[in-house]
Amino acid sequence: MSSLNPKDGKNGDTTWRGLSDLVAQAKSEADGVEDAGDPAVTAYLEQRVPDHDELFGDPLSRRRFIQIMGASIALSSAGLSACRWEEDHIVPESHRPEGYIPGVPKRYATAMELGGTAYGLVVTAYDGRPIKVDGNADHPHTGRGSTAFVQASLLELYDPDRSRAVERHEGTNSLPATWTSFEEEIRGLVKKLGQSGEGLRVLSEATTSPTVAALRRDFLARFAGARWHEYEPLSRDNERAGTRMAFGRAMRPHLNLVGAKVIAAFDADLLGDHPESLRLSRDFAAGRDPDDNAAGMNRLYAVESAFSITGATCDHRLPLRSELIKPFLIALEAKLGGTGAAAPSMAAFDAKAQKFLNVLAGDLVQNRGRAVVAVGARQPADVHALAARINSVLASDSTITYTADPDGDRPTHTEDIVQLVADMQRGAVSTLLILGGNPVYDAPADLGMAAALAKVATSIHLSSYSDETSAACTWHLPRAHYLESWGDARTFDGTYTLGQPILEPIFGGRSAIDVMKLFLGKGDVPTEQLVRETFEAAAKELPTGQTTGDTAWRRALHDGYVARSAAQGEKPAIQPFTLAPLGATQSKARVSNGSLEVVFTSNTATFDGRFANNAWLQEVPDFLTKMTWDNAALISPRTAADLGVAHEEIAEISLGGRKMQIVVYVMPGQAPLSIALALGQGRKRAGRVGGLDSEGVGSVGFDTYQVRSSKAPFIATGASIDGTGKKYRLSLTVDHYNLEERGQQAIAERLPDLVKEEDVEAYKKPGYSIVADAHTPEIATLTVPRTADEANESLYKEHRYDGHRWGMTTDLSKCTGCNACIIACQAENNVPVVGKEQVWRNREMHWLRIDRYFKGDPDDPQIARQPILCQQCENAPCEQVCPVGATLHSDEGLNDMAYNRCVGTRYCLNNCPYRVRRFNFLRWDWYKEIDDPRAKVRSLLFNPEVTVRSRGVMEKCTFCVQRIQNVKIQAKNAGRPIEDGEITTACQDACPTGAIVFGDINDKRSKVAALRLGPRAYNMLAELNTRPRNAFLARIRNPHPELG
Amino acid sequence: MARFEFPQWTESFKKWVLLLMAGGPVYLVALWAYGLRPETIRIGYQPKQPVPYSHALHVGELGLDCRYCHTTVEKSAHAAIPPAQFCMNCHTAIRTDSAVLQPVREAFAADATLKWKRVHDVPDYVFFNHSAHVTRGVGCEECHGRIDRMEEVYQYARLTMGWCLDCHRDPAPHLRPPELVTQMGYDPPGDRRELGRQIAANNRINPPTNCSTCHR
Repeated sequence: MSSLNPKDGKNGDTTWRGLSDLVAQAKSEADGVEDAGDPAVTAYLEQRVPDHDELFGDPLSRRRFIQIMGASIALSSAGLSACRWEEDHIVPESHRPEGYIPGVPKRYATAMELGGTAYGLVVTAYDGRPIKVDGNADHPHTGRGSTAFVQASLLELYDPDRSRAVERHEGTNSLPATWTSFEEEIRGLVKKLGQSGEGLRVLSEATTSPTVAALRRDFLARFAGARWHEYEPLSRDNERAGTRMAFGRAMRPHLNLVGAKVIAAFDADLLGDHPESLRLSRDFAAGRDPDDNAAGMNRLYAVESAFSITGATCDHRLPLRSELIKPFLIALEAKLGGTGAAAPSMAAFDAKAQKFLNVLAGDLVQNRGRAVVAVGARQPADVHALAARINSVLASDSTITYTADPDGDRPTHTEDIVQLVADMQRGAVSTLLILGGNPVYDAPADLGMAAALAKVATSIHLSSYSDETSAACTWHLPRAHYLESWGDARTFDGTYTLGQPILEPIFGGRSAIDVMKLFLGKGDVPTEQLVRETFEAAAKELPTGQTTGDTAWRRALHDGYVARSAAQGEKPAIQPFTLAPLGATQSKARVSNGSLEVVFTSNTATFDGRFANNAWLQEVPDFLTKMTWDNAALISPRTAADLGVAHEEIAEISLGGRKMQIVVYVMPGQAPLSIALALGQGRKRAGRVGGLDSEGVGSVGFDTYQVRSSKAPFIATGASIDGTGKKYRLSLTVDHYNLEERGQQAIAERLPDLVKEEDVEAYKKPGYSIVADAHTPEIATLTVPRTADEANESLYKEHRYDGHRWGMTTDLSKCTGCNACIIACQAENNVPVVGKEQVWRNREMHWLRIDRYFKGDPDDPQIARQPILCQQCENAPCEQVCPVGATLHSDEGLNDMAYNRCVGTRYCLNNCPYRVRRFNFLRWDWYKEIDDPRAKVRSLLFNPEVTVRSRGVMEKCTFCVQRIQNVKIQAKNAGRPIEDGEITTACQDACPTGAIVFGDINDKRSKVAALRLGPRAYNMLAELNTRPRNAFLARIRNPHPELG
Repeated sequence: MARFEFPQWTESFKKWVLLLMAGGPVYLVALWAYGLRPETIRIGYQPKQPVPYSHALHVGELGLDCRYCHTTVEKSAHAAIPPAQFCMNCHTAIRTDSAVLQPVREAFAADATLKWKRVHDVPDYVFFNHSAHVTRGVGCEECHGRIDRMEEVYQYARLTMGWCLDCHRDPAPHLRPPELVTQMGYDPPGDRRELGRQIAANNRINPPTNCSTCHR
């Protein structure tokens, strides 16, 4: 591992894709490029080329593959009905609803809740079935853009594994049950419980629904002895407790990044898993535009243990164990002249960290009033209090506001579940209603939730899937999806948001409100009416004028939210508080194996495990690790070398007396001596995608909840890790298309030309040009051709573009790597999921990928990113080699794919310098062969505007040509020109930061035309004279001069 | 080096090669002819519908406009088949006891659906949009023929890609003033092609022939 030594300097400036690149480069340096190299390296590189046996030999993997096809599979009728002799039917309704035009999609506002926060959304429904979910652009908080979870929530709606029936369990027996028999059971129960309701408990997931809150009040009034518990495995309770320490009551901090000049994030993934990430990303990106920003760019510092997308986006990052954040902040406060605790010893920090601290403190002081400090949810309460105090020292009134926590007096989620389980174990709970969540799987491992549930006479679990908890309860109720039910929610800022059903429950599910009302004898009251009553009661207290009556209700449903209903911002005063004393390891820079830190993080694929059966999320490569279908223990390269564990080796982690085995992922930039464990994999009863023991479908990844205790649910210390020597194969998309060593070296040399970055100071110098870069060959066409003369002559046939000329720009300064665009593209374009095996064989089908590069020191690298989709070359190499004319140039400059012509030679793929073409090696609609009627529901998912491809067909990004055509037709029908911004691509709609801009380059007033002429615009591989229609805007960083 | 000689047994190939040379072209011609037979491309396809609705009666004799029933044709890709409710607009008063209308009355009363057989069916990878054609002056008759003379609807045109492209490359003879798209037997005085050319110029009709025009 000596080649990875940061001191060695050779790799100091190198850009690399993964550690394998570095290994290969180092080897070829040592052995000379003519040499075949180290057998280990060669073996590593060669293993990516699957042989015949791997492809066809393993029947088990094939079976698994079929099972995995739980998601995006071809519409059954699509391929076959192309056949003319098949009889087809047209089935009109007998009464057509007013205003409904068959074949014209409609949009509805609705709301989705996730882990105690909510998003205001717009759903596109095609003939009554939702086919796309996006952020509600008018919503004052959610706004335009969405997260990967929001995009993928659509797939769950059509998941054939979702629970379809009420279940009743008695011991190991299943009894027949229906909603009617459940309602009878409830009537009996309510009678038996009487007025007191002693022994009646509710365990709810965190919900912001005002109607649920109203029913809860009624419920607790009706049953005096009942208690309401709330639990989320990923909760922001430490923040509540911390603000209570600092201000005397629980508050929610809201960062205002629009005006912030210096932002310091401590273990805080502001742009990723924060409930306000969409707004924060938008505001952060607004301060990152070097051209259109009079006040200058903001500067983001991140101090964190595990790489987050915030850390990947920042200007300066310090990898630091999560437990050391607290002494770091104490030292920072002392440097800022705060009046808090005495400065701690700096023994825990090396020279680099101390320099970072000094520069950060200086920068914060210099930008007093325009600086802000944020602390992540997993940090303990007193660190949050400390951050609040630092913010008051920094006079951050304009950059941070606080709102009162909507339920400030409840115990923390961990305390609550500990209490509940203790009560269950001593037999004090006779009836337990579990609304959502999956506590048997995700409650702290030391509680013994499953055993405690066995002591409850009647346990009722409402959930989308019949999961681990459902199996341990006496009743399981199928839950309606948010697109199937009435509901309401408050977004993180408190904006009242309404949810309306787009379709009837496909599997007969019901919502939490539907179940709650049974207990209150309101079974006959329509849920819509309950939601409306809550709305009217809440609206009366708002200063919005007309608040009641049909008009107001219809208005609110139409908009999806109530204007000016956000919580009032406050400026609470800091109260004195004392910090908990530092632990033994919190003053040590180095700890030994056995005192390692374990940090439990949210999972970018499954959140906390709830999306485990969502194949879109499972297959989207995590931005930082590029890992699909898995989770792993992330450790730093140096720690891995010190402790003798290897990448892709199974290791045993012991923590607090509990042990588990998990694969090791050696992650550049991971803090030394800290292990990051993403929660939310290793499900046993998720479904046929995420793992289902009863049908022999193995789990995806590893269940890290096994070592999570209620005492240290977020940051635990005292862990040890030991390699077992067993290998495990991860499906990483980053290692795809590795070449032999010479190729690897050439890649490394060229990467700086492909992903351009510059410091703002250099960029702002007069006469700066993105092409006048030391790395760049001097070819005029490296930039987007400014004039027709500038464009080089080509050997290819030149095209004329007199009409539209569609183009795109991708701003690398704004992209954070949140993955929302990838899943949006998948939903819009019927892109299939291929499963872990096939991803390993380089066969992922995503039309849009986000390339991630490391730069510099493997233990503290910078990250560059680049979303890559079809560049729609004007001189397209792919078009020249197709023997059957299946990919042709349109007169608007798009590289059209005619799927029905493609014979699958794959010449185009080989000739594409951007590697954006995807080939259907297999049929993703094999489910027809397994003859499972349950799978039929999947065909409802497809976007009917896009052909569903079959085996042997090449496909790629089309710039959402279906959207272009439809807007063109609408505009032509109305006899008007197309406005700039009227056509948006799916990835553009999903992007929270507005990094992607699409439009007509021939329209000189269009935004995209202006951006392509800007100083940051460049084409990738422009020296090939492919003249891509997508231009990248170089990333401009804003480093502190002293940190460089 | 000795001259290469084919082994003796390859002699038997000769007759096969000759047969292939003679038979191959015949086979290709036959395949081509078969592929373009009206039956193969379904010209004249006239399935039996659940209700023997007569366009000849309703359009030809009574003079209903196409858009009375196919209301969405100017707004949507589909010229949607009308719901039973549209039939009952009139048939609650006229021919209320007709036996052939029994399925319509039943569907209307039970809020059930009628299962019509699709006559004009292009492959699923073809995205045809009615509104784009009808609002630009391509008459219904151009593709559907004299609907006003059909007792039951049959397929009139070839609906092959070549047939689509014929018109996209040379739309003039198929255009008419957009307000007359539903007129059957349109026969303007003068040169039809010249008139079409004027309409195309006035309405800036320049049909694209890109793959992505129809294939997405």
